[in-house]
Amino acid sequence: MGADNLTDTLTRQTENSPRELLVRTFFFVCAFVSILTTAGIVFVLVSEAATFFTGTAQFLGVTGETVSLVDFLTGTTFSIAGDQFGVLPLLSGTLAIVIGSAVIALPLGVATAIYLSEYASPRVRAYLKPALEILAGVPTVIYGFFAIEYITPLLKQYLFPDIGFFNALSASIVVGIMIIPMVSSISEDAMSAVPDELRQAGYGMGATKFDVSTGIVVPAAISGIVSSFILAISRAIGETMAVAIAAGATPRLWTTGSVDAGPVSLPYPDPAYFLESIQPMTGAMVQLLFSDITGGGLAYRSLFGIGITLFAITLFMNIVSNWIASRYQEAYD
Amino acid sequence: MADNSSKRLSRRKFIAASGTAGALALAGCTSNPNAGGGDDERSDGDSTDGGDGGGSTEGGNSSTGDGNSEYQNLSGEINVAGSSTVYPLAQALQEQFTSEEMHPDVNITLQSTGSGGGFQNYFCVGDTDFNNASRPIKEEEQALCQDNGVNPVELKVATDALTVVVNNENDFVDEITFEQLYQIWSADSDASTWSDVNSEWPDEKLQLFGPTEASGTYDYFLETVIGEEGPGMRTDYQATENDRTIVQGVQGSQYAMGFFGFAYYSNNTDAVKALSVEGGDSDGAVAPKLETAKSGAYPLARPLFTYPARESLAEEHVAAFAKFFVEQSTNEDIVANQVGYVPNSQEEADEMMSTLESAIQEAQG
Amino acid sequence: MAADSPSTVRDGFGTVSRTAGVVFRYALLAATLLGILAVGILFVYVANDAIQPFTADPGWHLTFFLTLVVPTLAVGYSLSGRGEGSLRVGLESLGLLAVMPLFAGGVAVLFLSILPALVVFSFAVALAIPLAAIVALQRTRQVGFVAKLVAAAVVTVASLLFVPNFIQNVPVIPVEWLLVALTIGAPTAAIAGAYAAASWNDRRVGRIAALAALGGVLVGGLVGSLTGVGGIAATVLATVAGVPVGLYVATVVDQHPTRREGLLLPLVVLGGMLLGAFLVRTVGFAGPASWLDWAFVTSDNSFSAESAGIYPALAGSIMLMLIVSLASFPIGIGAAVYLEEYAGNSRLTRLIEVNIANLAGVPSVVYGLLGLGLLARMLEDGLPVFPAVVADPLGLEPIRVGGDLFGIGTVFVGGLTLSLLILPIVIISSQEAIRSVPPSQRQASYGMGATRWQTVKNVVLPKAFPGILTGTILALGRAIGETAPLLVIGAPNEFGIPQELSSRVGAMPLQIYAWATTSGTEEFYTKVIPAGVVVLLVAMLAMNSVAIVLRNRYRQRN
Repeated sequence: MGADNLTDTLTRQTENSPRELLVRTFFFVCAFVSILTTAGIVFVLVSEAATFFTGTAQFLGVTGETVSLVDFLTGTTFSIAGDQFGVLPLLSGTLAIVIGSAVIALPLGVATAIYLSEYASPRVRAYLKPALEILAGVPTVIYGFFAIEYITPLLKQYLFPDIGFFNALSASIVVGIMIIPMVSSISEDAMSAVPDELRQAGYGMGATKFDVSTGIVVPAAISGIVSSFILAISRAIGETMAVAIAAGATPRLWTTGSVDAGPVSLPYPDPAYFLESIQPMTGAMVQLLFSDITGGGLAYRSLFGIGITLFAITLFMNIVSNWIASRYQEAYD
Repeated sequence: MADNSSKRLSRRKFIAASGTAGALALAGCTSNPNAGGGDDERSDGDSTDGGDGGGSTEGGNSSTGDGNSEYQNLSGEINVAGSSTVYPLAQALQEQFTSEEMHPDVNITLQSTGSGGGFQNYFCVGDTDFNNASRPIKEEEQALCQDNGVNPVELKVATDALTVVVNNENDFVDEITFEQLYQIWSADSDASTWSDVNSEWPDEKLQLFGPTEASGTYDYFLETVIGEEGPGMRTDYQATENDRTIVQGVQGSQYAMGFFGFAYYSNNTDAVKALSVEGGDSDGAVAPKLETAKSGAYPLARPLFTYPARESLAEEHVAAFAKFFVEQSTNEDIVANQVGYVPNSQEEADEMMSTLESAIQEAQG
Repeated sequence: MAADSPSTVRDGFGTVSRTAGVVFRYALLAATLLGILAVGILFVYVANDAIQPFTADPGWHLTFFLTLVVPTLAVGYSLSGRGEGSLRVGLESLGLLAVMPLFAGGVAVLFLSILPALVVFSFAVALAIPLAAIVALQRTRQVGFVAKLVAAAVVTVASLLFVPNFIQNVPVIPVEWLLVALTIGAPTAAIAGAYAAASWNDRRVGRIAALAALGGVLVGGLVGSLTGVGGIAATVLATVAGVPVGLYVATVVDQHPTRREGLLLPLVVLGGMLLGAFLVRTVGFAGPASWLDWAFVTSDNSFSAESAGIYPALAGSIMLMLIVSLASFPIGIGAAVYLEEYAGNSRLTRLIEVNIANLAGVPSVVYGLLGLGLLARMLEDGLPVFPAVVADPLGLEPIRVGGDLFGIGTVFVGGLTLSLLILPIVIISSQEAIRSVPPSQRQASYGMGATRWQTVKNVVLPKAFPGILTGTILALGRAIGETAPLLVIGAPNEFGIPQELSSRVGAMPLQIYAWATTSGTEEFYTKVIPAGVVVLLVAMLAMNSVAIVLRNRYRQRN
């Protein structure tokens, strides 16, 4: 703050010269492009999705087939031919990818963060961090190919002989791998921000490094860790190519099994769902690109209907994550 | 940089010019092929320009040919979308057409979108020059095209045998009837295991792979096997616009079944097993083969089409590719051996050529 | 770092449950390595499919083991014993030798297939003229700023309007490789000279270095044009790979004489490769039946797996990267400068900051919808510079420009979509780089009477440059692998080399997806795609490794 005031004082006289104004305006326009991008995304999604949903389409006077918002949000069938655009089977598929990838990425990511922040020597860290970055940098189309060409056959050979050619499991595994760095880097930042006094207080009480890591550092950094979880899950929801290639193209609701618990039978989500072809939202979007039947381009517009749903979910998660992250920053600044 | 004058020249010309000027080259200089003579390379009838004043690169003019071959100075872009069934044929033909011997400066892009998707999203709104289809254009699509001032010209380019395939390890079924296919694929059927269809077949879950609704193959199967007024196709099979995926899916599980164009089978005869089909007017179960498709004995034989837009045919390189497509539709080696469809007969090709030529005349006239 | 300080405190304690601690520590390490190892194994699988090393004659392996592996290990071992950073010099020079030719290949593709040398040259001249004019204008003190601005604008517009056309129609022009040498060789030589002058602190050395670099480029081009390599390729290779390697070697030899031995390592590797190649050829040992070979990288795609190549996709990716760099870097860096140097703590600033953070989390497929809905569909007839809403009431014709650039699946739309996609990454990493410039340096500049712009130009940007470069290269590495947005805007499955901005887009990840989904035969799956995957991975890893090395060096200096 002090530095800013000093700068302001020093530059006040020259601030309004034409050159400075011009340069300043140019830089401002650059920064404003990001606002325009968001506005563009919202405008395109809203205006196109509005012609897809019955309520808004009537209002706009759009002719042709539409889908009511209620049918879209509560429909249990997604079939382009049947003109049934229920989003629930797709959400169900997305949920499978999220759960599968989270099971892999969250524990591994946090363990990586603890190791990097509390145990690794600077030299080891210098090698591990770029290697982790590569996990996130491998193009997702390659991850999709890995899943279908190498991982599924391995799973079939050693673990699940009945696994489908397309399956949620192999897609979840590669998505999980690619979001590990997201969890680990943000969590590690949060752990590094934990003041050393807290650690030393722990050691002073006779705690071991294990106790300090799990009992002091992780709880102190928990908001950062949670924020990293949310961001990573949001990334898994939006991941497209790997699931489009490996997860399949069968939009279906999560199958349920049931256990007999005396008088009632309790339904539970069947884990076998992972072994067969599913279709998450992003996978359906890619499929819609390669499909349309005659009759007013309903499929084209449904693309934006799904797109706006996806955008809303990820935006909400990003905002929550940023909010949590900003809270922890305030705590130790 | 799109409207640069030197881009009007092909790379080939650049290379040729710099090659012949060897003496100058040694002196570090060469004559500029651009200077002076640049103007007659310009095409005159291009309309895609957005008003930024530049000339356009499209549509080289064969009338200014340099005597070597009428092909040599064609250049420009041709965009093709549509059926995944016709895709391999179009791919093989574009490879020939853009080879060094023919038109290396024509850039042809192909997009596999399904017949319907191609008409709906690309062709009828003027984004592509050709649309491939594994069924004739529908009336709604005609209307949409007309609304946008696009006139499709129907050209039959080959005959396909829609092929039903099962896993190689499937030893209980070799032939199948339309009724059985109906039981397996229609929406009002509740068959979930093979034994539901035929009690002699094992009590194993049916795993079905097929094309999406956008596909002409889907439409054809629906019309021929399920019936147009029928209940429609079931929706719980694995639908994909990529025939390659169907091969992999069927290959991957012992109790799987799928169907697609004959080309994908002929490329994967070791990977999957094709079933003989009985139905319609067929004389017992007939195996899918080029001969049976040609003779009409195979009940699932169907014509394949490509639809150039009459407006695009005004451009010389588009017209040339359309002619090439029709000429080559009788080519046994490309259509049958490389791709795996029944070539057109000479009469059919002649008929298509006259349709095409009158359309070209109308467009360029 | 937080991790280091407690370890001294810890030593006295913790002996009791040391076993549990050790187990925990190794469990953490294992978890850290699990993902990395998994991907490493997948890389091995795919490389095995692409290169098929086991199809080679055992004698081939043995020959290269003896000529290449053994000497390299021996030299490496002896270097590591010497200390003084010799091994690091060896590895760095080896890395430069491996990576720079790759980038040179990329630039060569640009000149060979996408941008004719004469066009690039004419535009380079057209841009150099206003640049020189602006520098000259800045030195004069008589004219006011507005007059200077107008003059600069007039010169720029006039130069861009007339110069390219004039140059392109000059009857006698230099041969192509000479044009390339002038277009990229001359500026590279100038940069090399400036670097040398700064690093030796001697202007004369700088001049010598610049001349040597230019001479090297010209000799390279001449030799290339007389031999089979080709003039353009050799010129680009000499410029992009030769000059940096030469500069590195000169620096090591002259400034770090104790590390000179390190240069032995690349020599041994190169020599071993040549000797091995010579031996296997004379003896007749067959090499691996690699699917990934020169023909694969340089041929067109094909219907048959045997002749399928990745060249159009490679050229398409390079063209896309060119558009993405031109569009996103100036805007991204400009935005970062605004946020760090100009913006106060206003509500608008905070909105922009939050907005950028959220944009970074928007799925790439949604950016594709932006490209499809806005750039490809709504702007299909061009940018409305004089929109119909205004024009119609006045009874005038509406004016739209660039109608051929916008539309379904064009390179231009693809490039812009990817630019918007990586913009938040460029902005955030540039902000970090700018933030790491110490405030005291800015204040020193202000204290001497510099304006904000002068401070940004002379202090902040030069200091932050390596950091900005790192971030932008990483962002490009992200863009080169993006598939979904391109699919959404309507990219084709089969494409040629894009000749113009209005051509349909093509890119390496698109090609891989197309092969995976539309190709008929098994061979595509087991050989062609792995080869394509390896090419794309090499491009991505080359970019990332350069960025990481840059960042490490930059951090060490700070």
